[in-house]
Amino acid sequence: MATLAADPEDLFAPEVIADPYAYFGRLRETDPMHWNPRAEMWIVTRYEDLVWLVRHHELFSSAVIKTDRRPPHPPIDAEDGPLFDRVKEFRSDQLVEHDRPGHLSMRSAVHGYFTPQAMEGWRPFVRAAVAELLDEAAPHGRMDVLEALAAPLPVRVITQMMGVPEEDREHLRHLADRLLYINRGEPNRMKLLMEGIEGMIDYVSPKVDERAATPSDDFISVLASAEKESVFTRHQVLVNTALLLFAGHETTMNLICNGTLALIRHPDQWERLRADPAGAARTATEECLRYDPPVKSTQRIAAQDVERHGKTIRQGDRIRWIMAAANRDPRAFDDPDRFDIRRKPNPHVSFGAGIHYCLGASLARIEGQEVFRALAERFESLRLETEELEYAPSIQFRSLTALPVAWS
Amino acid sequence: MARELRIAVDHDLCMGNGQCVFLAPEVFRHNANRQSEVIDPAGAPEEGVLKAAGFCPTGAISVSDAQTGELLFP
Repeated sequence: MATLAADPEDLFAPEVIADPYAYFGRLRETDPMHWNPRAEMWIVTRYEDLVWLVRHHELFSSAVIKTDRRPPHPPIDAEDGPLFDRVKEFRSDQLVEHDRPGHLSMRSAVHGYFTPQAMEGWRPFVRAAVAELLDEAAPHGRMDVLEALAAPLPVRVITQMMGVPEEDREHLRHLADRLLYINRGEPNRMKLLMEGIEGMIDYVSPKVDERAATPSDDFISVLASAEKESVFTRHQVLVNTALLLFAGHETTMNLICNGTLALIRHPDQWERLRADPAGAARTATEECLRYDPPVKSTQRIAAQDVERHGKTIRQGDRIRWIMAAANRDPRAFDDPDRFDIRRKPNPHVSFGAGIHYCLGASLARIEGQEVFRALAERFESLRLETEELEYAPSIQFRSLTALPVAWS
Repeated sequence: MARELRIAVDHDLCMGNGQCVFLAPEVFRHNANRQSEVIDPAGAPEEGVLKAAGFCPTGAISVSDAQTGELLFP
């Protein structure tokens, strides 16, 4: 039987999902500003270009959802057009989908909550949660890192930050899983996504009423007070609470799974971490972030015509920048394909750069540090229980679907 | 008389988020590479400088007493 030749422009091809480093690494070396006709978007892969692009927010708009006039890519089920419009309405109210000056006032309202020092206050909670989850897993001699550790940890932290009861964790995790369909390839993804969006709005609405009346020190109160100061509308408060849940969930999950996998696949580095878990956890987490980043790529829309590498990006063009490729750019990192837990400096772009630099970066770092430290303190060695690892078909996220490991 | 500050921005860490430039525009500006640099350590009251340093999401800014060398942030 004849098989169709794979389309080299298919960003959802199984081999691109399995190994984005080979595919985007090739582009980085041969055509760093590549027009992908299938997705109708520019693909930017070099470190220097990515940093330039992201820091020139006046040239490249983050209001992607609002501005993009092209149909969704990959295509969605035809009857889901109206759903897509509602998803657009929801997503365009997200802080990350705004440009200056609106973005600046919104970001300023929440930035103080997430500073490195403020987040340090969460370290004891994170450490205790990691210990508790590992205590539960330890007697079994094996675990799916995703199910036992990487998924429940961020949900625990975020529910605590939102000031909502423990028994709501499962419900919120379910909603977060639905929200993850945002950048997936499945044609029916709009229905699943909408379920998450509506569920989140229903869940958060009464909580926002509560916090607006009786403010507390949780994150919903921070947003509710910004509504009082007219920085956010009520819809924006709801949408951004959902954003926090979603953004902190998937990305942390990926950091933990991808980092653990890298440590297992590099026994020499695992030994270096084991020799000094507390001391090496910080640089090890940075290297995990660089080597196999939780977010592979992000998108912008050109706000005006821009020349780069002799090509013209037209106003309104989609541009997707690939952190996974930039982090392995030999022009920016020595021996970039080597996983080195003591790498320094390590100016990876896994949290982006510029005005949209990840709001939750400090929290993600603490979660990564506490997990990798605890694993190294607790286990002499971890081994993979399968070589058949699978990644979710997302253009944006580098998400393992399971990571079964065992120890003795 | 306010004490003199020494402010340093680590360009291995600065990602150009611009919080410092926003909060203390008399002290910080962006260079051509859109990384932060110090234009005037006395451009804002010490409290404002420390807030700008604390708001840096990558912890790229350190502040010390220029006379005694005492580290004031982080």
